[in-house]
Amino acid sequence: MSLPDRAPAEVELRLALVLGRYGGRLDAEQTEALCRAVEAIVEQITSLRGVLLGNADEPLPRFIPFRGDE
Amino acid sequence: MTPVFRPIRRPIRELADAVRARRVSPVELAETFLERLQRIGPRYNAVVTVTRDRALSQARRAEREIAAGHWRGALHGIPFAVKDLLATSGGIPTTWGAAPLRDQAFDFDATVIERLESAGAVLVGKLAMVELAGGMGYRQPAASFTGPGISPWGVDAWSGGSSSGSGSAVGAGLVPFAIGSETWGSILSPAANCGVSGLRPTYGRVSRHGAMALCWTLDKLGPIGLTADDCGIVLEAIAGPDPRDPTTARRAFHYETGDRSGRHFRFGMIRGVADTAEDAVRDAFGRSLDVLRTIGTVVEITLADLPYEAITRTILMAEAASAFEDMIESGAIAGLTAPEDRFTAYARDAILAKDYIRALRLRTVVAREADRVLSELDALVAPGRPALASPIDREFRSASRGNVPDVMGAIGNAAGLPAIAVPNGFNEAGLPTSLQFMGRAWEENAVLAAARAWQRLTDWHRRRPEGADAG
Repeated sequence: MSLPDRAPAEVELRLALVLGRYGGRLDAEQTEALCRAVEAIVEQITSLRGVLLGNADEPLPRFIPFRGDE
Repeated sequence: MTPVFRPIRRPIRELADAVRARRVSPVELAETFLERLQRIGPRYNAVVTVTRDRALSQARRAEREIAAGHWRGALHGIPFAVKDLLATSGGIPTTWGAAPLRDQAFDFDATVIERLESAGAVLVGKLAMVELAGGMGYRQPAASFTGPGISPWGVDAWSGGSSSGSGSAVGAGLVPFAIGSETWGSILSPAANCGVSGLRPTYGRVSRHGAMALCWTLDKLGPIGLTADDCGIVLEAIAGPDPRDPTTARRAFHYETGDRSGRHFRFGMIRGVADTAEDAVRDAFGRSLDVLRTIGTVVEITLADLPYEAITRTILMAEAASAFEDMIESGAIAGLTAPEDRFTAYARDAILAKDYIRALRLRTVVAREADRVLSELDALVAPGRPALASPIDREFRSASRGNVPDVMGAIGNAAGLPAIAVPNGFNEAGLPTSLQFMGRAWEENAVLAAARAWQRLTDWHRRRPEGADAG
């Protein structure tokens, strides 16, 4: 399946992953809509990359080891 | 002659006083609201299941207990309903709003339901919701097998997602209070669109055992009622640790109602927070600030420049895609109602593990920034929702979709902060607007006190929609 010309490389790569898995279920209109959705995701992720994080910046919540008797 | 007690659209305390004084019985209350759910509920596409047998059994028990002098508290004998994502035993379906799951049933009750019933409240129904709580990317109100949720304030106005039935049922007087859930906006939005009060508790305050998971690190359950006080009463009953939900905090919650007269609140407002809201919302917010300045100060706050919405949206999209991985990968989502819900979630495979973890790391930065600001305040204030209820046959604007800013919702949900939305006006067409108070983590009492103070000064929460029977 050919991808829309306007897709930049990262969108194209990620969209290829999506279409590789689900493309067979989609019609042309849905494929176009998914392309826009992946573009929006890449834009979103790009904005996250714009924030500097250090090695000690860890996620919340932290993993808590589990014991069934506690 | 004793006047007939009319229970429709009354705050919980008034109902409780009447029940305790035996001016109305729990069975009469149950019968009244069961009948309204059955007769009026379809007008708003608000109801999935009316739990008549269970309700009458519980109501009779409450009646016997109260007659014997054993009054459990303000919720004893008070009817309520829940968003249909909370598990119920006894063969009552739990549909999650999704057509493919119409017949789904569980053999246990969600902790929230157990706790409300332990407090003596009477489950009268399960309420409509957006399919899978909106997690598949819906863009318009017609996204549930029960039809688009309709606000009691407009025949073609959306009741808001995703706790649509919870909002409209309370607004239309079909139940005294309801339980909703919020991942991003799903309690505050229906409260705003239906002209009622909705409380989003701190993440971990209320057990989610038995609730459909949309996003494990974002989901919260909370009350929708006529008043802030109603929300406080209900929160006290449902809050607290639960070994069946390891994310619940080991913190007890006691609802504090001792309002000090002349209390001076410290409110903050994020600079420009209402700039992109619709005109009527912005105007109502401006007028609200004038009222708030009579009970406190309102200072403008500047937040660190962070991609707040993108952070929360990334977490939401990734976790929802994982929570419903079975339905997505199997193609079962093709059976959902909204056409866009049948394929949009496929796009989330484009979010890589590293992206998700970056969003989680940034959430820590957001939580610290929010706490820095809120540690100096009782609450941040903002419109409860930036837009009015949209028409049921049109696409809506939504922060979780990324086409309307909602910094408050993004921060509040990413950081798991409590917030309450309360009515603060109407537009020219009679659609409600709302005001939100958002507080520091675990400070529900602060936002409830602010909202109660607001409702002592205003009467927006006492307005009744014309369309709903006064009963």
